[in-house]
Amino acid sequence: MREYPALRDVAIAAIALVVILAIPLLHHSPAFEDFVIRLSAMALFATSLNLLVGNTGMVSFGHGMFYGLGAYAFALMMQMTGLSLPVAAVLAVLITTIAALGVGAICVRLGTDYFAFITLAMQMLLYSIIISWQTFTGGDQGLRGGIPRREIFGFELASQLHLYQFCAIVAVLGLLALRHVSASPFGQTLRMIRDNENRASFTGVVLWRARLWAFTIAGAFAGLGGVLAALFVSGAYPELADWPNSGQAIFAVMLGGINSFLGPVLGAMILLALNDVVTRFTEYQGLVLGIVILAFALGLRRGVLDFLKFAWPGRSR
Amino acid sequence: MDLDALGACLTIPACVVNQTTSGLIVGMLLFLVAAGLTLIFGVLKIVNFAHGTFYMLGGYVAYTALGATNSYTVAVLSGTLAMAVFGVLFERVLISRVYGSNVLMQLLICYAVVLIFDDLVKIVWGPEFHAMGMPAAFQVPPLFIAGGVVPPFYAVLIGIAALIAIALGVGLSMTRFGKTVRAAAINPQMVSALGVNTTLLFAIVFAIGGGLAGLAGALAAPVRSLSPGMGFSILIESFIVTVIGGMGSIAGALVSALLIGMVRGFGTIGFPKFTDGLIYIVMIAILLLRPQGLFGRRS
Amino acid sequence: MTGFITRRTMLAGGTASLLAAPWVARAQANTLHIGMQSIFSGPIALLGTSSRNALMIEQERINAAGGFLGRQIEFVFRDSKGQPQEAARITRELVNSTGCELLIDAEASSASFAVQEVVRDLGNIACIHTNSETSSLTADPKIRAPTAFRVARQGVHDAVAGSIHLAEYANAKKLDKWATCSPDYAYGRDTTAQYLQFFKQFKPDVEIVTDAWPKLGQPDFTEVITKLIQAKPQALFTLLYAGDLSAFVNQGNIYALFSQMTVATPNVDYPVLAAIKNLPAGIQSATRYLETFPDTPANKEWGQAYLKKWNERPTNWAWQNSVAMHFYEEAIKKTNSLDAKALAAALSGMKIDSPFGADGTITMRDDHTTIGYAIGWGQTTPKEPFIIDVKPADWGKILELETEWKKQKNYI
Repeated sequence: MREYPALRDVAIAAIALVVILAIPLLHHSPAFEDFVIRLSAMALFATSLNLLVGNTGMVSFGHGMFYGLGAYAFALMMQMTGLSLPVAAVLAVLITTIAALGVGAICVRLGTDYFAFITLAMQMLLYSIIISWQTFTGGDQGLRGGIPRREIFGFELASQLHLYQFCAIVAVLGLLALRHVSASPFGQTLRMIRDNENRASFTGVVLWRARLWAFTIAGAFAGLGGVLAALFVSGAYPELADWPNSGQAIFAVMLGGINSFLGPVLGAMILLALNDVVTRFTEYQGLVLGIVILAFALGLRRGVLDFLKFAWPGRSR
Repeated sequence: MDLDALGACLTIPACVVNQTTSGLIVGMLLFLVAAGLTLIFGVLKIVNFAHGTFYMLGGYVAYTALGATNSYTVAVLSGTLAMAVFGVLFERVLISRVYGSNVLMQLLICYAVVLIFDDLVKIVWGPEFHAMGMPAAFQVPPLFIAGGVVPPFYAVLIGIAALIAIALGVGLSMTRFGKTVRAAAINPQMVSALGVNTTLLFAIVFAIGGGLAGLAGALAAPVRSLSPGMGFSILIESFIVTVIGGMGSIAGALVSALLIGMVRGFGTIGFPKFTDGLIYIVMIAILLLRPQGLFGRRS
Repeated sequence: MTGFITRRTMLAGGTASLLAAPWVARAQANTLHIGMQSIFSGPIALLGTSSRNALMIEQERINAAGGFLGRQIEFVFRDSKGQPQEAARITRELVNSTGCELLIDAEASSASFAVQEVVRDLGNIACIHTNSETSSLTADPKIRAPTAFRVARQGVHDAVAGSIHLAEYANAKKLDKWATCSPDYAYGRDTTAQYLQFFKQFKPDVEIVTDAWPKLGQPDFTEVITKLIQAKPQALFTLLYAGDLSAFVNQGNIYALFSQMTVATPNVDYPVLAAIKNLPAGIQSATRYLETFPDTPANKEWGQAYLKKWNERPTNWAWQNSVAMHFYEEAIKKTNSLDAKALAAALSGMKIDSPFGADGTITMRDDHTTIGYAIGWGQTTPKEPFIIDVKPADWGKILELETEWKKQKNYI
């Protein structure tokens, strides 16, 4: 198994998928199903961001724009056209990919700090367009009335169980794809750029092209996450494209571990679980969340998975 | 989009005076906040994402102080000093641990502080909005200049902010302390090797930065509403100002704050429903044409 | 460490199971849990807190009288911060994990649409929206849901009532030049458009000299105020509310805005009026909640009881939530069950007695929204009761124009 890392990844993914799909059949908990559905969207979003942040060293503050774009493109197509769900989903991801290519072409030329600022400005611009173009996007109220015809390959997505299964499958497959990108020679090129871009360019890597590829792929998977988010709320809301949402992805990456592939997934799990649990007990969620984040940042000083790797060093990457 | 109205306004002196003063007042208050932010970044290389919290707390402290002492001067001084102290505490307890770390770690810490204090403010002052009210001394009718309206309160605020801008400029370029600060911004190790207590220096810089934001919050409190989470919009705007002006440049902060103020002042006539979008477009344009900002140094 | 399953994987698995603990379903107690979600933080926290205050009074009253179907009721409160996806998650959590059997959705308009979709999907829970004033929530047949109702004032009702009053006032005082200043989001834009549409019907010679669209929560209104003053309107219509209205008034005062034009606003709640220092007199204002309108002992008693318990005056949101509980009470008495479809059938077309009704009653129409509540317009004064000379609106005219508007929008 050690000689075929790709096979190992597929095996882990298959086992995880079987476990996830089995749980609701053993113990039915709607809250758990809701959690997994939301986690699917967020996990894709955060892991795609880490392709930029952890792997390439590109700090993007505006990644939420692709998440939101994916959600809106999908929801709009479902509400306004008669396209079936899989076609609309694929088109939504395609539209987001093209947008990522366009935005990336403008942004990747800038150095790190400025890259962060310009991606943020782009996201805020998209957000103001969404809010202002009320006739098309519904403005601040979002797309209302629900997403119709939610069927795909025999899954009736109006049923929570089917939505759970669909999201779990999409998320695991998506993460597997991202893992493949990250573990491939291209992924290693990205990490080389992160560590020392001069040396990377001396070996013949065209920096801006590699970064643009990374940005586009990351944007595409964020868009896929957005499609799942739109399915959960049965619509699309501007908050999905607002920059605090980008912040959530950044926190998920930082809390879970910037140097581990599954770090962002774990971070997303922690954030969502905290949100769910804390809101039941107190209305001062900010206070609790803030204290938890400080504990992580000052105590562990790195994400959970990174800390575990540090404390129990195992096989090297 | 209402370009005719904009054109019409630019030909009427009264309109130009009015929108320029309103641009000035918005810009100068923004400058006070952004100056602190850019100073902290310039010297400490820290992006203080919690800067809006300083503004918010400055306003609330001033509100309470006014209620207790009935003196606007005391209220403003309390807000400023309280935030200077808070700045030192924030720097010593939290920021000093993440010098040199990934900018995302800094973001995380600052964001945690924002969350915590937004809720603390809710607990101490209540979740609903508060209005400080205009101090009696300023409840006077507005002045008329060239047909335009200039309220005395705003004239005083603009004056105070201008004085501070001059003080910062002179202080940084001509005093020994100012030169040390600028040197530390360029090469902190060397400054420390020369015997300067950089720990104290950094704490003082944060005190000044925080104090400026608190001052802005206290000055603006009589006319703006106080509510938990109000620091958020101020943070975004001052962030845009510092990026456009150049992170680390006080002059840049002044120029870009006034620019943003004018874009608002005249944008509200020409583009009433897309004024925010306009500002983001300006920011993107500057970042593409001159990424280090108008007055920033290429690093 | 060699091997397929590393220590790290085990640790991860263990953590995951620990985190899973909250979702193991809870046992059902005999208390009847009623889910309530709203905005309890930010600039319009007053919306949630005053709704909650009114509901706590109702909880005491109903429990003292034996509860619903012999079970004591208990509200479960959640703060969505106005975020639609959080609102959707909370609705599902309230129903699916906390086991709430009734819902009160006290969200503002944007989140209420998200809640509506969840209620539609679940299909088996009754929900009353208490604070959303956007007409399409119930007027648009595509958005209306079978088990969701609205007990709240509606944008289109207020627009008709307001324009009738303002047109009369404008004609009497010869105010032909108007300006508008409303927050730049769906409620602000749609409602302003509605007001103007009806206003022009009653006063065709009105001229809108300028419009201003500050952002919701914008701290500084100076450039908007100077723009308004320059256009020299005779009157200003504004939909700003809560903290924004307070800031606008304070900033307007230093420009002597209120001495240069008459101001009309439908959105002034008591606590806002009390919090705004230096409130100018003579602002034309609608009543949201007023202890003296309707001028009945029942209304005064309710207002006094609320003031005594919470040390602040009630808001529009408070009475709406109170009436929602009265509707639930009557519907449950009638059907003797909590089944959503049965309650929906009972609620549709129901008429109840209410101290907040224009004629002492409020009716739930069969398009799932309430009519007949007290709407009036008067003018402000800097001290209690803050709004005087209140004239009641004509519901006949309101309903007539609402029907026309619905036809125009293809809702009927």
